[in-house]
Amino acid sequence: MSLDHRLEAQNLCAGYEKQAILENVSLTLPAGKITAIVGGNASGKSTLLRTLTRILPTVSGSVLLDGQSVHTMPSRKLAQIMGLLPQSPIAPEGITVADLVGRGRHPHHSLFTRWGSADDRAVDQALRATGIEKLAEREIDTLSGGQRQRAWIAMALAQETDLLLLDEPTTFLDVSHQIEVLDLLVDMNTGRGTTIAMVLHDLNLAARYADHLIAVADRGIYAEGPPSEILTESMVKAVFGLESRIITDPVSGTPSMVPLGRHKVISRPCSRKIA
Amino acid sequence: MSIAITHAAPRTVPRRRINRRSALVLCLLGGGVIFLFALTLTCGRGCLAPSAVLSALFGHDSAGASFVVNDLRFPRAAMSLVTGLCFGLGGVAFQVMLRNPLASPDIVGISASAGAAAVFAIVILSLNGWIVSLVAVCAGLMVAFTIWGLSSGRGGAGGRLILVGIGISAMLDSVTAYIILEAPEWDRVEALRWLTGSVNGAQLTEVAPVFAALVVFGGMLAVAARDLDVLRLGDDTARALGVGADKTRLVVTLAAVGLVAFATSASGPIAFVAFLSGPIAARLLGSSAAILPAAALTGAILVLAGDFSGQFLLPARLPVGVVTGAVGAPFLLYLIVRANKNGGSL
Ligand SMILES: Nc1ncnc2c1ncn2[C@@H]1O[C@H](COP(=O)(O)OP(=O)(O)OP(=O)(O)O)[C@@H](O)[C@H]1O
Ligand SMILES: [Mg+2]
Repeated sequence: MSLDHRLEAQNLCAGYEKQAILENVSLTLPAGKITAIVGGNASGKSTLLRTLTRILPTVSGSVLLDGQSVHTMPSRKLAQIMGLLPQSPIAPEGITVADLVGRGRHPHHSLFTRWGSADDRAVDQALRATGIEKLAEREIDTLSGGQRQRAWIAMALAQETDLLLLDEPTTFLDVSHQIEVLDLLVDMNTGRGTTIAMVLHDLNLAARYADHLIAVADRGIYAEGPPSEILTESMVKAVFGLESRIITDPVSGTPSMVPLGRHKVISRPCSRKIA
Repeated sequence: MSIAITHAAPRTVPRRRINRRSALVLCLLGGGVIFLFALTLTCGRGCLAPSAVLSALFGHDSAGASFVVNDLRFPRAAMSLVTGLCFGLGGVAFQVMLRNPLASPDIVGISASAGAAAVFAIVILSLNGWIVSLVAVCAGLMVAFTIWGLSSGRGGAGGRLILVGIGISAMLDSVTAYIILEAPEWDRVEALRWLTGSVNGAQLTEVAPVFAALVVFGGMLAVAARDLDVLRLGDDTARALGVGADKTRLVVTLAAVGLVAFATSASGPIAFVAFLSGPIAARLLGSSAAILPAAALTGAILVLAGDFSGQFLLPARLPVGVVTGAVGAPFLLYLIVRANKNGGSL
């Protein structure tokens, strides 16, 4: 249903006034696939997403969408192709869920178009997909953290973009809603062909749900590829500074990381010693 | 929460209902404006028959009504109307853009700078007409950008922007007071106009530039309104939805300062109209759809009603700014108390 769009970064340097966060990053988000981005706090994951979506200007290098620099594209056209759910979005006081989700339709309108049935359909579908249709009339301020998060996801869905970037879509969600959101993203990916890139902190869910895994560390990409190749003990050690063991997820067959802390470990692998 | 669509009952579309409420509120506010405008034309120290007002307006002289209606009441009502619309619109644009009801032009020093510049231009530079308004706009823009700079204001307005603005506002108010003291030829009424705002003795030639500003800058805001609305979701979300945050802020700042400065250079800084209109309109609307026109109409109602009650309902004859100031001050206190509790936004 949707077109495959290729988003790539070439020798990208990104950061904030004089502070380089990412240096010389080159990557491609595989079209029609789900990519998960992992990395420690403050490693630059959000910075990467914000630079890829043109929210943050690049320091040097380029971001290309289907071979064309995103900086030369009209904002509205770009927003019809690529959507972003920021890590900590702001909801204005008193706005209702339905109203917020409706804002996702903004790039599909110009000064002279009116709200139409296609917009109603998109909003309805987004509300239903995130399971918050009963909350449509509620004000955002009166919702729980997880309900609020789902309202924001619904807004990003209502934008109906072929490329969707999400910054920690599962924070604030309980375990079952985390799984539901990830399942929903897979539905969108297989059903509509939406290309998805998301920042996740849960390595095991990232490995289970992503086709492509990107580990960010040391101002660049430490490793990228299929989760089965990328999620290794040495990667976890290098990226997070954490000793771990990798087992096979009995449900999905994907790699699964079990952390080794200083306490509560009954059988410590003898090959590794922790200082 | 699967994407498959089950047999869900057709949901009432919330958008429609909100639109209906907006339409109702806008109609009521518009009706209020028309009523107060007509009231100002018909009733004064003596009431005229509506038919006499109409025939006077259309050029048939009927027993002296012509002078009262055409030369006194109509310019006054027209001035109240356009300045009210300008203050309401300019005020709410700032409040929405900075996500803070305290960030209205009359609190953060835009009105004060426009007023001081207008007084300076009239008294010291002996200018008049359009040029005064342009000087006021330039001063307003200068102060706006100074405040942005001093508080390194990006996105929402923190307490810092408000405090810097209040400081600048106080400074400029004293400049205005000083210039007025140095202008001995002014009477008390004229001086009061520049201190609190008044539509006393308005002339149609003074109304014209404000009306033009309303058309030009109001038009700019109307074009930017959709983007402004999305900007309330934060810069990142707005950019992700295809809205250039900085460009929108620039356009909105320019338009809002233009509206407030032109109105201020005609009627003086009518106290708290810019500050009050947005929050009142927001309470009426419930949600913020159509907040700009609703706030503009609310501003017009405040000025028309304030001027009418200042002239005829209160024991002493007061300029409109004194009336709106008395209404606005308690609300300001309420907002400050509330902002300290939960950091309110518009
Ligand atoms: N607006 C900003 N201005 C200046 N520095 C910033 C800004 N936003 C983030 N940074 C810095 O950039 C670095 C990377 O931040 P970023 O938000 O990209 O990290 P992250 O990987 O998303 O972390 P987290 O997992 O905590 O969300 C941090 O050191 C942070 O302090
Ligand atoms: Mg982040």
